[in-house]
Amino acid sequence: MESGNPLLDDYVLGLTRAERPRVCFLPTASGDADHYIVRFYRAFSAHRCEPSHISLFRREQGPSDLRRHLLSQDLVYVGGGSVVSLLGVWRAHGIDSILREAWEAGIVLCGLSAGSLCWFEEAVTGFHGEPKRLRGLGLLPFSNCVHYERGAMRGEAYHRFLREGMRGGYAAEDGAALHFTGAELSRVVASRPEARGYRLDVTGSRVVEMRIATTYLGDRDAVPAAPLPEALSTAPAA
Amino acid sequence: MAGGAVRPTTATPVRRILALGGHDFSFRPPDRAVCQLLLRLAGERGGERPRICILPTASGDTSEQIAGFYSAFGERSCEPSDLSLFRLGRRPVELRDHLLAQDLIYVGGGSLVNLLAVWEAHDIASILSLAWRRGIVLAGQSAGAMCWFEAGITKSSGKPLAAAGLGLLGGSLCVHYNNEPERRAAYLNAVSDGMPSGYGLDDYAGLLWEGEGSPSAVTARRGARAYRVSKSAGEVAESPLPARFLPAPAPAALREDIAEFRRIKTMRKRAGWLG
Repeated sequence: MESGNPLLDDYVLGLTRAERPRVCFLPTASGDADHYIVRFYRAFSAHRCEPSHISLFRREQGPSDLRRHLLSQDLVYVGGGSVVSLLGVWRAHGIDSILREAWEAGIVLCGLSAGSLCWFEEAVTGFHGEPKRLRGLGLLPFSNCVHYERGAMRGEAYHRFLREGMRGGYAAEDGAALHFTGAELSRVVASRPEARGYRLDVTGSRVVEMRIATTYLGDRDAVPAAPLPEALSTAPAA
Repeated sequence: MAGGAVRPTTATPVRRILALGGHDFSFRPPDRAVCQLLLRLAGERGGERPRICILPTASGDTSEQIAGFYSAFGERSCEPSDLSLFRLGRRPVELRDHLLAQDLIYVGGGSLVNLLAVWEAHDIASILSLAWRRGIVLAGQSAGAMCWFEAGITKSSGKPLAAAGLGLLGGSLCVHYNNEPERRAAYLNAVSDGMPSGYGLDDYAGLLWEGEGSPSAVTARRGARAYRVSKSAGEVAESPLPARFLPAPAPAALREDIAEFRRIKTMRKRAGWLG
């Protein structure tokens, strides 16, 4: 849902392998902001998929059976915002367990910012003031940090949390996407030529950061997909 | 506060909660009357320019609710602010400091279930309870009124169902009482099935708790009532409470520039410049 750049949207739609994928947007982290819902319907227009959304703040208007609706999708797209509020509201409506079920059933789950952090065991949120550690849904047994641009406060905090015992994980710059199959990273793709994903681990008291070969999804300067280094194809010890 | 030696203390602040069955922030008389009451309660604690903060959490921090609040209080003698938990990213605020600095905290309507869930995630409940004990007025309408009770009847999941509140006030509350018959019916059933008894509030009716004891009822619209709903001998009984009528204050004098803008708008409309 980057404005003017459909590369990542096209990529996730492609992952569903459906001709006209059913896509449901969960704008919870934004408080179901109207402008965000409109942006979703623009980006995922009805001519290439079957879009819908669930507003947990306006339940009287949407599908009444949340589980049935979510489990009938090919793709669930989670929008950005406050990950703390997102997880709180999801738990209140039982969305956390429905999404786990959806994931186990092979429905593609995706999202940006808060919509990325939520899938991981642990995450760094910088939404409000000082960056904080928090627990996500735990589908992916790693930590996650988004908006991992150079010099950002969030990145520094991530390194500190790792030294303090946070499990190893993945960071992504804006425009980069971490694509997992099961609980393993398949590849890193990007909608911007310079965007990268990173693997972070701790050895002793040192944080080891490794840049992951990233496939730019655009036509220009296309980089061929590189095979993952061996260290990345296995999950780290918990 | 530190424990230890007993010192002469100032009197315990009076705990006050104003629960409202439903209203808008419009300029219509009953809405003006409700806002006037909120302003008066805030002023009793904060003096001439009391601090009033809206928590629009239950709506997902919609712009409509926030804008409505500022349109009602922006031009009045008070210091209005909003605490939007979904928008903190753009405007970091120390939640605790900000809330405890208020004279009145107003909670907007929306989803009671989401309100409680988001508050729990951000640890707001304990701050509000402390604010209440310190004499900061807690107020709100719809979900923002039911949240103070042990339970309420909410449409957070579509159909009207019982949901828990913070429990600062014992018993339960049902809002939009005669305005949404299906909500009232669900409430009467729930009380009959063992939900703690409590109150029903029509739109523009309110209940004010000041210290211990029973609340006093107020109404800003003729015919809008507050009801005591209780169960005795297996029967649920509804009894209307005598309520004090809140007259609407004269519309606030418009600021010079806004008055000018309205005059021009009217002129343009008359001249047919605007559709």
